[in-house]
Amino acid sequence: MKRFTSFRSIFMTTALAAGTLALSSCEDKASRPKGTYAENAVLISNEGAFTASNASVSYYNRNNGTVENNIFSKENDRQVLGDVLQSIAVYNDRAYMVMNNSQKVVVANANTFKAEGEISGLEMPRYFAALDNQKAYVTEWVSFDNNGRVAVIDLNTLTVTKTIEVGVNPEQLIIAGGKVYVGHANGDFISVINTSSDAVETTIPVTHGPSYLVVDRDNNLWALSSGMKDWRVDKSQHTAGALAKINLSSNTVTNTLTFASNTASSGRLAINSSKDKLLYSYNGKIHQQDISTNTLNSTPLINRSSNSIGVDPASNYIYIGTAPNYSSDDWVVRYNTTGAVVDSFRVGIAPNGFVFR
Amino acid sequence: MLRDLSGCIVEQFTIRGVLFLMVFCCLAVIARAQQDTSIYQLKAVEVFGKPAEVFAAGSRVSTLDSSYLRTYASGTLAEALQTRTPLYLKTYGASGISSVSFRGTSASHTAVLWNGLNIAMPSLGQNDFATLPLSGIGSVAVQHGAAGAHYGNGAIGGAVLLQSPEQAGKGIGAELQQEVGSFGRYFSNAAVRYSSNKLTVGASGYWQEAQNNFTYHDLGRFGAPETRQEHARVQQKGLTQDLKWKLAPRSYLAFRSWYTYTHRQLQPAMGAAANKAEQLDKNLRLMAEFGYTSRIGETTVKAAYFSDFLHYTDVSNNSVTDINTYQLQAEQTYTYGQSWSLRGGLSLQHFAADVQGYGGQVSEDRAAAFLLFRYDPTPRLALSLNLRQAFIKGYNPVPTPTLGANWQFMNLGEHQFYLKGNVSGSYRVPTLNERFWRPGGNPLLKPEEGWQAESGLRHTYSKGNFTLESEATGFYMLVDNWVLWAESGFGYWTPLNLHKVRSQGLELSSRATTVVGEFRPGLSFGYALTSTQQIKSYEGSAAELNRQLPYVPLHKVTFSTDAAWRLWTFTGNLLYNSERFTNNNNSSSMPGFALLGLALGRQFNLGPGSLHCTLRADNVTNTEYQTMVNRAMPPRAYTLNLRFIIP
Repeated sequence: MKRFTSFRSIFMTTALAAGTLALSSCEDKASRPKGTYAENAVLISNEGAFTASNASVSYYNRNNGTVENNIFSKENDRQVLGDVLQSIAVYNDRAYMVMNNSQKVVVANANTFKAEGEISGLEMPRYFAALDNQKAYVTEWVSFDNNGRVAVIDLNTLTVTKTIEVGVNPEQLIIAGGKVYVGHANGDFISVINTSSDAVETTIPVTHGPSYLVVDRDNNLWALSSGMKDWRVDKSQHTAGALAKINLSSNTVTNTLTFASNTASSGRLAINSSKDKLLYSYNGKIHQQDISTNTLNSTPLINRSSNSIGVDPASNYIYIGTAPNYSSDDWVVRYNTTGAVVDSFRVGIAPNGFVFR
Repeated sequence: MLRDLSGCIVEQFTIRGVLFLMVFCCLAVIARAQQDTSIYQLKAVEVFGKPAEVFAAGSRVSTLDSSYLRTYASGTLAEALQTRTPLYLKTYGASGISSVSFRGTSASHTAVLWNGLNIAMPSLGQNDFATLPLSGIGSVAVQHGAAGAHYGNGAIGGAVLLQSPEQAGKGIGAELQQEVGSFGRYFSNAAVRYSSNKLTVGASGYWQEAQNNFTYHDLGRFGAPETRQEHARVQQKGLTQDLKWKLAPRSYLAFRSWYTYTHRQLQPAMGAAANKAEQLDKNLRLMAEFGYTSRIGETTVKAAYFSDFLHYTDVSNNSVTDINTYQLQAEQTYTYGQSWSLRGGLSLQHFAADVQGYGGQVSEDRAAAFLLFRYDPTPRLALSLNLRQAFIKGYNPVPTPTLGANWQFMNLGEHQFYLKGNVSGSYRVPTLNERFWRPGGNPLLKPEEGWQAESGLRHTYSKGNFTLESEATGFYMLVDNWVLWAESGFGYWTPLNLHKVRSQGLELSSRATTVVGEFRPGLSFGYALTSTQQIKSYEGSAAELNRQLPYVPLHKVTFSTDAAWRLWTFTGNLLYNSERFTNNNNSSSMPGFALLGLALGRQFNLGPGSLHCTLRADNVTNTEYQTMVNRAMPPRAYTLNLRFIIP
């Protein structure tokens, strides 16, 4: 989703910049995106506490620093967004909120946050990616231990038209070159789906647990794998996580950077605006990795654990969500490119992702 | 700020130490006195008042009205306490579990005692009040505030005292009850009793089913459509049996059993997936009691066996908790005339737990010794001094004392004024789940410690048939090493001694009754102001100091009336809970709500028996409310109850 948001952000930023220019020249207000949450928007998905149905979306105006929390309920007559907001994706001014324990995707206007519908019939949905105005894909775990699937969504009717079986716990997905790349939190490969046939075309073997995906400026796919970290298994049998670099033309792994520790956890992956620096969490700290370096950077950029990492493509500021306790609201802390704190603001419970518009 | 707090802690331990010494000094004096006074005739402790209050001078004990218990016999303890006391009940929807909060504390800070024995589920350290029926229970008393010395583990915020029915009158009696209500609710109950000079026997059984298929606005679905609640069915059944056999004029043997069965579909939160969660609770409680009165006072020995079985399932979980508890409690009470009484006792508990989450059999032994002393230097002044020390291998809690006084300081004919107050300690040792659950169970957890001071003014007025009884109590409580489950950073949760909580507030209550010809009205009022905050945090970023704890309403008000006229009875209940925050930093909340319940009954005399017909309406104003965030609660509901009683 991170790469997807970056891609979206660049597109949106360009669009907004163009719009602003157009405005200042001819003051044509009709071409401006209208809505309370349209301007300078950073949307934050707040997961909420499991079974409490207190997930929420926060809006941060990165121009004037104002924060508006719980915007979905505010704009929709105190309706409940749902239980466990896993991720948000925005496509064509529509926000898609993937509600993991509500078995659905809630669809709202991304500028006004008025509800527009729901995609139901999903089982443990995780992430959403749109191909075009017609079609999107949603990963579904379906169960904890068995194969999951990818649902094909008709964006006009907001219905599932087909499901594609993939590996265990399908997680982030990214669309590149007419193919959907699907990571697995509990698999040893990335599934590749052809968007014409909507069938799995091939799989790319990687280190266990490739949950997070981004694409760099050289059209390489980066996958962050967790390694095997099942708490039911003795820690001596845990395996190290890794960053894998995958050539999207050949669908082959060209480099694997394995983490030093077998037990340290890793997660979250983001890329900067020039798409040449990866940011990820490892052993409770945030690390930065140049895409052209062949060894892992062992010095953290930010000495803090996080629940999410995002990079604002406009400013290159790093946004992190603080580690949650699920009973009080958490914070988003902003850092500059050197890893120094800029400021922070309070959002909802367990901020787990950012959409920069 | 920090220095003040550490000062408080030091002070707390000093006071504990002083009280501890005082109790033992008293004990020495009494031990000597006992030798000289054994020639005096001994009297039952009841001379001092209600049994629950004998050693609780200066504390606030209220009892649920017996006519209320009769009218709402098909209900649960959760509904009764929500309606008639200043306690807050957090209920996970119409069919879900229900937990209680006394004076701002959490569910595990309430001790529930059945005929004097703690019945908390050992795995959770608390009771689900939705599984405790009123049917088969004789009386319900509520001890407000800390009473660790008296009631032991968990009595930090208060205690709920359940007693089996006392049989009134000799001979045979029976009762049949049938009830039908809205949303597919049926209730049947039968009870028989027999009483002679030697033997008292009582037994009752009930069966209940509720579909809870009410309609509500589903805020979790697009457009908040009117939706019929699915998956909220509750089936309950149970048996109680009480037998008391007078072996000799001075000794008795009693056997009591209580079995409850609750099978529930757990209603999901609005917006959450239908996860087909179900819970089956089977609780069997057996006890034998032996009492003997001799020259050295009353001896009571209680032996009990409890079996608590809980089976939770949903689409991705299947968890069984099966725990056997063995308890032995021996007490010796010595009463000297009308001036003092001393009770010493020992309590032993053995838990044998077979819980999937522990990964195998776990057992634990706990012991506690207690001394309760009541002294009335004059008929107008009652003092009590209690002490308890619990022993658990590896994590002994500190001794918990209570010092209380009740002083009738003014007597103006019809008006009586009393000043009362107490200082008391309390404790809660970690539950089996908190110690043994895998992953996350924390064997290093310290016991929670509570400290409370309260003071109140009581006024009674009596003229002719009119009586008015009012009480105002202010309290201040500190609970340290408060345990909460927190994300461990390894993908699972672990309990930690996270903070220190301060609760302070004011409780007002008033009850007026009169008799005017054949009209016997009664009116009660209750109010609680509860301000509860974290004042110190021990771990990292979770601190939300000086903010009201979630699910603690600042204000709760209850109004109730019980009136009788000839063969008619009328009951009315109005309760108001103010806004309750749903997170620690108080950014989200549920709005306050008021609930009104009405019941009208008439008695018909049929031959030797009588038929009581009652028509009840609950949530009369059709209020949409929640006590637990996003859990739909039932709208207006009607119930028709028929009770046939043979005296």
